[in-house]
Amino acid sequence: MSDAPTTAQRANGGLMPFVRTYTMELILLALVVFLIFTAPGFASLANTLNVLRTVAMLGIIAFGMTAVIIAGEIDLSVGAGAALAGCIVAWFGVTYAEAWGGTAALGIGFLAALIVGFFTGFMTGKFRQWFNVPSFITTLALFTALRGAANLITGGFPLSNLPSSFGFFGGGYLFGIPFPVYLFALTFVAMHFLMNHTSFGRSVYAVGGNMEAARLSGIDVWKVKSLTLALTGVLTAVSGTLIASQIGSGTGTTATGMELDVIAAVIIGGTSLFGGKGRIWGTFVGVIFLGCISNGMTLLNVSEYWQYVVRGAIILGAVLLNQMLDRSR
Amino acid sequence: MLDASLPTDRGRLEFNAVSKAYGPTLALARFSHDFTPGKVHALMGKNGSGKSTLVKILAGVIQPSEGTLRVNGTDTTFASPHDAFGAGVVTVHQELSLIPSLTIGENIFLGRLPMTRRLGVRVIDWARMHREAATLLAEMGLDLDTHATVSTLSVGQQQVIEIAKAMSFRPSILLLDEPTSALATREVDLLFTLVRRLRDRGVTILYITHRMNELFQIADTCTVLRDGNFAGSIDMAGATPDRIVEMMFGETAKAKRPARQVIDRSGSPLLDVKGLTRHGVFADISFQVHPGEILGIAGLLGAGRTEVMRAVFGADPVDAGSVTVAGRSFQRPDLQTMKNAGLGYTPENRKEAGLVQILSTHDNLCLASLARISSAGIVSRAGEQGFVDRQIKDLAIKVPDPLLPVSSLSGGNQQKVVIGKWMNTAPKVMFFDEPSRGVDVQAKRQIFDIIWQKASEGLGAVFVSTELEEVLEVADRILVMRQGRIVAEVDPTEITLNDLYALCMKDQT
Repeated sequence: MSDAPTTAQRANGGLMPFVRTYTMELILLALVVFLIFTAPGFASLANTLNVLRTVAMLGIIAFGMTAVIIAGEIDLSVGAGAALAGCIVAWFGVTYAEAWGGTAALGIGFLAALIVGFFTGFMTGKFRQWFNVPSFITTLALFTALRGAANLITGGFPLSNLPSSFGFFGGGYLFGIPFPVYLFALTFVAMHFLMNHTSFGRSVYAVGGNMEAARLSGIDVWKVKSLTLALTGVLTAVSGTLIASQIGSGTGTTATGMELDVIAAVIIGGTSLFGGKGRIWGTFVGVIFLGCISNGMTLLNVSEYWQYVVRGAIILGAVLLNQMLDRSR
Repeated sequence: MLDASLPTDRGRLEFNAVSKAYGPTLALARFSHDFTPGKVHALMGKNGSGKSTLVKILAGVIQPSEGTLRVNGTDTTFASPHDAFGAGVVTVHQELSLIPSLTIGENIFLGRLPMTRRLGVRVIDWARMHREAATLLAEMGLDLDTHATVSTLSVGQQQVIEIAKAMSFRPSILLLDEPTSALATREVDLLFTLVRRLRDRGVTILYITHRMNELFQIADTCTVLRDGNFAGSIDMAGATPDRIVEMMFGETAKAKRPARQVIDRSGSPLLDVKGLTRHGVFADISFQVHPGEILGIAGLLGAGRTEVMRAVFGADPVDAGSVTVAGRSFQRPDLQTMKNAGLGYTPENRKEAGLVQILSTHDNLCLASLARISSAGIVSRAGEQGFVDRQIKDLAIKVPDPLLPVSSLSGGNQQKVVIGKWMNTAPKVMFFDEPSRGVDVQAKRQIFDIIWQKASEGLGAVFVSTELEEVLEVADRILVMRQGRIVAEVDPTEITLNDLYALCMKDQT
């Protein structure tokens, strides 16, 4: 698990194991150094905070997705889920602001979004258990259904008459740092702790590494899988709320394609799509890496179309790199 | 033995001092034998006798370390399965290799479908394929529609199609590796008719089996391997089951069981299984295990030993019956409940079901006992360390670094990790399913010592092994299972290996 790299080092010694263990970190470092010297304004405080704010929304979900993928499942519905969560919060905010007061309405909306997120995730796991429907399929269905639901709630138009205080969560600053960054950091710490220092986290690795062995060890494998999916649903709701807050409205069209960025970040971070292997820290690196690439290319005036191509190449490259490293270990 | 090759040698298969070494161990030691053409040659031997090594060499899957092979009168080396095919040696493996969703015809000609040109485009000639397949089936006396999807066939019919597919290569030598292991009795008859027909057409058949009664029905000769050595070959006309068992087991070695304490069966049992039934798998299984007792379950593969253990442990569902552990009764055992009640299970397939190979030894040892190790769901390496160290010391697991993946350990040590994983749950009753499979002799001794040691400390144990001498050696009491039922209970000190073997194999009609 988190100790695997140190053992690799112990086995060989020397510099190469270090490079091998921290390949992605070193590549990120190289990228940052490169951008500092070439991309105008990359190193500025404002830009750094901007990058962090952007990656926070992605990262919060990506940490949950890491657990899902380690457990041997996948969730394609997070982008749609984030949009739906934002719309739920906004709908409560718009509809009940007068009756309950803005804070209460938004608070209850947020709670509702969390419950919906938990439920859809949990049911994805249960569908796999009861009907043997792969999470790939269930979440593909949710991918369109949840976005449809979001648009049904909003009626196709952004719900933007929100209490002004709401904007703080996505767009505000606390001690000079964007508020989402705190949640990003908090999620990172919590997920790192969960995956490495709780029996639940250990079970996730076991379930993804060998489901039958985990089952025969008396681990409730379906509960574990369902809970990782539910957890991701909850984190998706948090992120969706932040996005709605930042743009000041709930709309059914936000976070389009976000699921792909989230999965890309997890994979760049070295988590195996076959399950059983991966680290929250790796995902952290992957998220920052993606954020720097996007930001850097924008600063360098690379056309949007090229940005897509480059990101695709990076995802493929990261997987190839991990495969090669795996083989050489 | 190797006289000049003649054209009439078609179907002749000669081994000359063929050996296969894996490191220092000889899986097959200077095996020499001449399999005469046009006969059904049975190949017998218990697990680890070198039988499967021989099969793999013939199939071209592995290459002998020494010795030569003569096929159809020509010296041959098989560098790959492809070479074996080319030489006319075709193997039908135990596991079916048909694709269930395709038709019989497609399965037979998979990878070499007949092609034709239509409008200048190369396309599959379906009509010809089915015609040829039908001819093939007719030749073999089979009345099956080549358009039928394989998944609609019975297992026996599938096995027959598998053989038909093999025959489409026009082999001179056909290897059948336990072809009846999954078949019902009447399907076996179908298979035997086919085998006889092929023999009469001059095909040499090597028939691997562990079912004694089949030998007398189908084989012309029987060749026995024991511990990698040639133990003899005999004409079935003059053979008796006793003679063959003797060849398989040699001078029946006295079991080396330690002086076992007398089991006190007067108190209440640790485990009490009553009338456990799973339709079509096993029926009306009842037995008890007392503290300190090792209960052996003997039976052939497929007799239901593993299935019963898994059901008691809650890994598989049951239809009826109850399981009582230390006074607590359960109608529908489920895995988490049974674990908490004090049961543990080391599965027969250690690699696939016993361990998470990509996780460390450390993590695997803690896998079943996370709830015990953690407090309020939180675990730490330091907290786990005691559990890990205790098992490594107690079971003498040789592990250079517990944080390295468990896959780096030897088979014996991996098996000990599986046992240690369960010992960390402080079980009352342990089920050991083939704990000695794929481990070396020394590790096997150590594993038996562990089982005896734990039993002397009050653990109840259920022990299953395909190796009957192991069951005799390890257990205090033996239940014999045949076709999903307990048919006998024997005292290992009062029964010989041959008699136990006979009990397990007794004709099932």
